[in-house]
Amino acid sequence: MIPASFDYIRPGSLAEASQALAADEDAKVIAGGQSLLPLLRLRFAYPSVLVDVAGLDELRGVRERGTFLEIGALTTHYELTTDPLIAAHAGLVAQAAGMIADPAVRHRGTIGGALSHADPAGDLPAVISALDATLVVTGPGGDREIAPGAFFADYLTTSLAPGEILTSVRVPKLAAGWGYHYEKFHVTAQAWAIVGVAALARRDDGHIAEARIGLTNMGSTPVRAREAEAAATGAPATATAVGEAARLADAGTSPPSDLRAAEDYRRHLAQVLTARALAAAAGVA
Amino acid sequence: MIERTYRQQRLIPEAMEPRAVVVAPVAGEYTMWSATQIPHVLKVMLAVVTGIEEHKLRVIAPDVGGGFGSKLQVTAEEVLALILARRLGRPVKWTESRSEGNVAVHHGRDQLQRIRIATDSDGKLRGLDVDLLADMGAYLMLVTPGVPLLGAFMFNAIYKMDAYRFNCTGVFTTKTPTDAYRGAGRPEATYAIEHIMDDLAAHIGEDPLVVRERNWIRHEEFPYTTIAGLTYDTGNYEAATALAKDLFHYEDLRKEQSERDSAGATTRIGIGVSTYTEMCGLAPSRVLGSLAYAAGGWEHASIRVLPTGKVEVVTGSSAHGQGHETAWSQIVADELGVPFEDVRVLHGDTAIAPKGMDTYGSRSLVVGGTAVVAACQKVRDKARVIAAAMLEVDPNDLEWADGKWSVRGDPDQGKSIADVAFPTFAAHDLPDGVEPSLDSDATFDPENFSYPHGTHLCAVEVDTQTGKVKIRSYVAVDDVGNVVNPLIVDGQVHGGIAQGVAQARYEEAAYDSSGNLVTASLADYLIPSAADLPSFTLARTQTPSTLNPLGVKGVGEAGTIASTPAVVNAIVDALRPFGVSDVPMPCTPERVWRAINEGEAAADFQRPASNGGAQ
Repeated sequence: MIPASFDYIRPGSLAEASQALAADEDAKVIAGGQSLLPLLRLRFAYPSVLVDVAGLDELRGVRERGTFLEIGALTTHYELTTDPLIAAHAGLVAQAAGMIADPAVRHRGTIGGALSHADPAGDLPAVISALDATLVVTGPGGDREIAPGAFFADYLTTSLAPGEILTSVRVPKLAAGWGYHYEKFHVTAQAWAIVGVAALARRDDGHIAEARIGLTNMGSTPVRAREAEAAATGAPATATAVGEAARLADAGTSPPSDLRAAEDYRRHLAQVLTARALAAAAGVA
Repeated sequence: MIERTYRQQRLIPEAMEPRAVVVAPVAGEYTMWSATQIPHVLKVMLAVVTGIEEHKLRVIAPDVGGGFGSKLQVTAEEVLALILARRLGRPVKWTESRSEGNVAVHHGRDQLQRIRIATDSDGKLRGLDVDLLADMGAYLMLVTPGVPLLGAFMFNAIYKMDAYRFNCTGVFTTKTPTDAYRGAGRPEATYAIEHIMDDLAAHIGEDPLVVRERNWIRHEEFPYTTIAGLTYDTGNYEAATALAKDLFHYEDLRKEQSERDSAGATTRIGIGVSTYTEMCGLAPSRVLGSLAYAAGGWEHASIRVLPTGKVEVVTGSSAHGQGHETAWSQIVADELGVPFEDVRVLHGDTAIAPKGMDTYGSRSLVVGGTAVVAACQKVRDKARVIAAAMLEVDPNDLEWADGKWSVRGDPDQGKSIADVAFPTFAAHDLPDGVEPSLDSDATFDPENFSYPHGTHLCAVEVDTQTGKVKIRSYVAVDDVGNVVNPLIVDGQVHGGIAQGVAQARYEEAAYDSSGNLVTASLADYLIPSAADLPSFTLARTQTPSTLNPLGVKGVGEAGTIASTPAVVNAIVDALRPFGVSDVPMPCTPERVWRAINEGEAAADFQRPASNGGAQ
């Protein structure tokens, strides 16, 4: 179908973009367009004006800032998979980004767009949740930093206020001893995850000292598997212990039943995939 | 007696190019450009439906981006565009989006198949009983009821038996009409019989290839008239199966399968067999008549030798991605002894190629190619008379050798088609009674179908914890008779396997309880890409058809027909230790997982010994 009519502006600065968004509550930011354009074409979204931020160079690039990496919102998925700083300090981001959709989408889609779209079936929301990253936004009220748990409010909904734009993501650099793995379960290579599990583990002397687990598509927002994390923490780094902890992966989640999978199957997958992701992250054979 | 009910889910054809039509009215005449497979049939139907005189209509099918049967149709949008152009006196254009097309373009398959076989205790087939419930959709389109009826000829497949009953009940529903989709009736039949043959093998504890060999038509029995009344001209199921087993490393895989079963491995191996045949080269006109198809099944070709020796071939077989330009040029180059580059193929425009029955049903080469050969022979025969006059010999003293007419016993004395072309054009010295042209027309109506066959073997790995299936290897040995262009044949088999795998694993048109299609976009209607498919191992055996001069059988649908049962049989084979005898299509990970959970595993499960099989 053809989208409903809308205005289009291409602001010259972040402040200008923010003003345009604040002035019209039906305005929408467009970057790579890989999520928004299909919604427009299917007429699931009717924005009055598209604010195209693609020309704002201050949103580009990956920088090292002490203990964390600052990933500009316009960094494409392809760039996430090839950036040397991300490879060195946030390999989980690169691994998951490489599994998003197909090469065409990865060359256009951006991390800022994927996070602002807040699709719980998207891969990056669960990944940055597991990484305890921070989302940096700017708007009429100035800059602020938001934790993933507060940023993702509901299905396709964020806590961004009118006029606010996501400018970057701050990802803590992984220290030595940490391992990671993203386990994506999808039917075709291009399809969204039925369930995805982003796991991080710090191994210390035959034990799992710390574990962080983010779940894709197990609720209306990305969620952390807190009970499984707690069970894994301090457990011996064995397949048995990991498997036991993983049986708690779906605790407290509200996975959907849809065309692709029923709720009980998603709960089962969350457990199996968490065991696999955590085992890989912790180096458990 | 074994009885099963299989479900053929509803599929949506996904041609690369959605439908589009433009109509331009000029001085009371109308030219239509349409993304159609059937410009000729469309033109006739437009005249009948709108009352516009047929000779004032011209239909052009330009480079059409695929069809798979979905554009073997006369659609309301085409008729409306024409009527609007007539009323407004202005050009009218209509295009559809992907999601509109998924709702409106006719769908495929959608049958419930109750199938029963009666066998001797050794698995020798005695009788087959098929009862279909076929969803017609809300109303009938061009071939809607004929599609499941084609299955009547195909459920018996390559097997011998004493009794066969086929019954089909068509029902109207509130859904989009069904009609031809790649294979049309034959994939459905092949799926059911090949699935139940595997079930039979499991039932009697024998290797599925052994059971098939016990029942199939042996190569020395051809030509063979089947229980369904068709006469298969040639085939060699033993040869294709032996080659496939070899390429597949069948025995090694069976061994690995048993080892994994014994070890209780998480990831199991399944091996699926499909020894398919099909009826192609649609079709004898009188058979189409019996299926209530309005048009005939013949095909037409014209050859025009131009004064400078270049050749124009006009074919009524309207290609939409099949490479007719290449294959027809090869045939004409061979038949007339002209360089490949000197041949131009014209098609897809009723003003340029006025007669034809278009492209569907793996018919182009078998029927259209035969017409091209016949037209070439007429040109050659005429060239002989003119060449004889030029050489001042009797035509009977000439023989066709090395692409020219040569004097018998004196091969240096000869005239090629190009040598004859200009003198024919000049017409200064033509023999009495010879018209000054080197052109011909030929129309061919087949008297029988053609019967490609082959053996496809698929190995899958099934993750029993998640239900995820990975195709580990896929071997396709196809016997499509003689091959004109191996690359085109391989391409057809590749695409066909992909579409068959798609039915087995991914695709399903789903409606909600209010009757809305919920798989209108490609985000919801999953089709595989190259990333989801293995590298196929392709090979061929060749038993030339005796039914046409080229010895060809057709290949457009073979991969689709063969692959769906091969894949599903492999998945079920992997799960037999868990007491699973079927997984409904598409075999999604969730369905596989549920089948494992719901199966009743037999503690004493044992695989049959696999030391036999066709050799």
